[in-house]
Amino acid sequence: MTGIRVALAGNPNVGKTTLFNALTGSRQHVGNWPGVTVEKKTGRINRSGHAIEVIDLPGTYSLTACSADEVVARDYILEERPDVVVQVVDATNLERNLYLTTQIAELGVPVVIALNMADAAEAGGCAIDRERLSALLAIPVVRTVGIRGEGLDDLLDAAVREAETPPHHEHTVGYRNDVEAMIASLVGVLEADKDLAERYPLRWLAARLLEGDENALAKVRESPVSPRVQALLSTIDPDECEAAMADRRYDVIAAVLPQVRTAGARGMNVSEMVDRVVTDRYLGIPIFLALMWGTFELTFAVAAPFVALIEAGLARLSAAVAGSIGPAWLASLVGDGIIGGVGSVLVFVPNIFILFLILSFLEDTGYLARAAFIMDRLMYAIGLPGKAFIPMLIGFGCNVPGIMAARTIEGERDRLITILVNPFISCSARLPVYILFAGAFFGAAAGVVVFLLYVLGIAAAIGSAKLFRHTILPGESSPFIMEMPPYRLPTAGTSLLHTWSRGVMYVRKAGTIILAGALVLWCLASFPFGVEYGSSASLAGALGHLLEPLVAPLGFDWKIAVALLFGFVAKEVVVGSLGVLYGAGEEGDALSTAFLADPGLSAATALALMVFVLLYTPCLATIATIRKETGSWKWAGFSVAYGLVLAWLLALIVGRIAPSFIGGA
Amino acid sequence: MGAVCPLALLAAGTEATIADVRAGKGMRLRLAGLGLCPDARVRVQCADRGSLIVSVGDARYALSRGIAMKILVKEAA
Amino acid sequence: MNNMVQGVFGAVLGALYAVFGTLQIVAALTGPAVPFVPASLFGGFVLLVIGAVLLTGVRNLARGLDDGIGFVNVGTLLSVAFGAVTLLAAGAGALEAAIAGEAWSVADALTPAVYLAVIGAAGFLAWCRAFFRGLATA
Repeated sequence: MTGIRVALAGNPNVGKTTLFNALTGSRQHVGNWPGVTVEKKTGRINRSGHAIEVIDLPGTYSLTACSADEVVARDYILEERPDVVVQVVDATNLERNLYLTTQIAELGVPVVIALNMADAAEAGGCAIDRERLSALLAIPVVRTVGIRGEGLDDLLDAAVREAETPPHHEHTVGYRNDVEAMIASLVGVLEADKDLAERYPLRWLAARLLEGDENALAKVRESPVSPRVQALLSTIDPDECEAAMADRRYDVIAAVLPQVRTAGARGMNVSEMVDRVVTDRYLGIPIFLALMWGTFELTFAVAAPFVALIEAGLARLSAAVAGSIGPAWLASLVGDGIIGGVGSVLVFVPNIFILFLILSFLEDTGYLARAAFIMDRLMYAIGLPGKAFIPMLIGFGCNVPGIMAARTIEGERDRLITILVNPFISCSARLPVYILFAGAFFGAAAGVVVFLLYVLGIAAAIGSAKLFRHTILPGESSPFIMEMPPYRLPTAGTSLLHTWSRGVMYVRKAGTIILAGALVLWCLASFPFGVEYGSSASLAGALGHLLEPLVAPLGFDWKIAVALLFGFVAKEVVVGSLGVLYGAGEEGDALSTAFLADPGLSAATALALMVFVLLYTPCLATIATIRKETGSWKWAGFSVAYGLVLAWLLALIVGRIAPSFIGGA
Repeated sequence: MGAVCPLALLAAGTEATIADVRAGKGMRLRLAGLGLCPDARVRVQCADRGSLIVSVGDARYALSRGIAMKILVKEAA
Repeated sequence: MNNMVQGVFGAVLGALYAVFGTLQIVAALTGPAVPFVPASLFGGFVLLVIGAVLLTGVRNLARGLDDGIGFVNVGTLLSVAFGAVTLLAAGAGALEAAIAGEAWSVADALTPAVYLAVIGAAGFLAWCRAFFRGLATA
């Protein structure tokens, strides 16, 4: 049994991840826009005596290493030397895809092309002669349809075959004569350094040096042959070389294409017409807002009956527990602590699932990419590239992947700003808090209140971005280039799968972090022995009273202070904590009723609380991600402090001015 | 053969051939990876206060005005 | 010829959406609701957007611009989509009322977004299916 490592490479949004999922049976997030995969992922399969490790690399248009995800892909192929690279090629878009092929081939690894989305190309009346393509490129070409799992066996067989065949051909582009001569002399010089020769394909390295690639220059800087390389390079103009080489690559592709493709008749371009409408100068933003409003309307209305059912179920469970467990403290632990804490979070599972379902539906149709385009104008005004809108949109689900998605942004400062403002985008974890309070205090207007909170989150992100741009991270935003994916009717399978995996993550969190939080809180609320559960005499009460002066100006009492403290772990915990502290775990609507009965809580306070929860300190997972992505605790700490200050100030303002709008309360 | 002008100035629905890309090295390489390099045929799909959507071959891209000003094109005859 | 028919359809439907959208917003701002036209600021906004998309299409068609038909088609699609959204929300409301044992009347579900969408759906079946089929293969 031998191990084979297969790396999946390709342009963004060609279906690499779909293929990866089909090959390995895993459930990675797939979306219809470029840059969904930002980190490499690994899966294992066994096939005819081979242990095959499949690595899904981030999508790249080229291997010039301009942005962080391109570097991930390129370095993997260079440093880890996979046994074979499978390039996933979008059959409907051969020209650009083959450009990457020429670059991968130059890296000196065996390549197999998976001609993906072949069905879509054929439906468009575009036939591709696979055998001819394979012969011309000297690379095996396999037809696949990722979403239906077609061609997977052939693909694996071809990959194994390529991996086991010793390299026998150089399938690289031949450049212009003078460039080739230059490459040859550079290779001659580089060969003297045995270390370099062992680590990198020299032809590739020489070509990159000619292009003036920073990354490649850095690789030879330490080498003993460096002076001679510099001497050679000083005789040429890297810009001119690079242009000549890119030209040559496209010339090769242009020569290949007409031989392998019979283009179908181009019908009326419907996609273009739809683009005109949804990106219209005046109507684009209203259409986007209308769709977002519809999303939230559905999230609340459709989930309501399911929420009612879960509440009823939890109430029964609680009653059963109270009746059957002997020792009072144990009944309290299970009833108040576990069912009260975890249950109050589980109630929102239907909302979360529906929100994810709609967002993934919009994403899969390709509309969200257009939304990013519309927002480019707005983003430009605040000094960020339109691409920064994508991390923000992902942030609506969860800030952690949102912050990771910022990797697709090229400028370092743009990236930092995008990361720092992401926590203000209201993630799904905050939704339970809104639903609970908006539902209790605003009744029928709950949907509007929640919608406005989301808008406030966006406004806070925009305002902060502008602030950062003018203070700590000055500079111009880097220009915006984004591929517009084709419109697709999402298959129910992908949308549901996507929703399922994200929803399950939420439930799992309820079972782990939130359960632990609820248990700790129950202990704090029950000790010292003999105090009334959750009363101000308990440890939780003492802690709350300690914090109370800090939040008193906002109208929050000690219970809220404790809940907010625990919300630091994960924001859903705020709801669970309140469930424990109000001792309202037994009945479904009990928590809302308890709020309304609490004289310290008015509609205005509830609004201030929701604003605070929206903006304050990101959860632990988000902080850890900021730390990882920015590479410093400084920015993570800054994010925590800035969020706290902003939340405090805005909650104060909202708490003060809200009563005049909602009639005193 | 029309005169050379920046891509950003074309109206929606116009086709043109790229004549030159006046951008820094990194940007030029990136654009080449997308197929936006000299002699490529582009078609402006939507143009709107700066940003525009262009199609090249079978791909569509959204470009900000800044880049579109740096791509010089010859309008198709 | 077909464009002509669809243009008239778009004009009528667009005007209806604009009127009902305005009514809903006015009702939300001033108070008493007209029967079958609930007071809703955001609901009215959505109707206005749909109306505006349709009417823009009609205007462009009248000017002889080729993208006009796209606006009418997308507007019709939005009409159907928001009709479905409203209907789903109303259905969930009915289910919730049934679970809680509360009263619920069909009148609650009959909002402009729903009954205008019936007209939209007719237009969608007549023209838009062919239009959007072109999208999937484009």
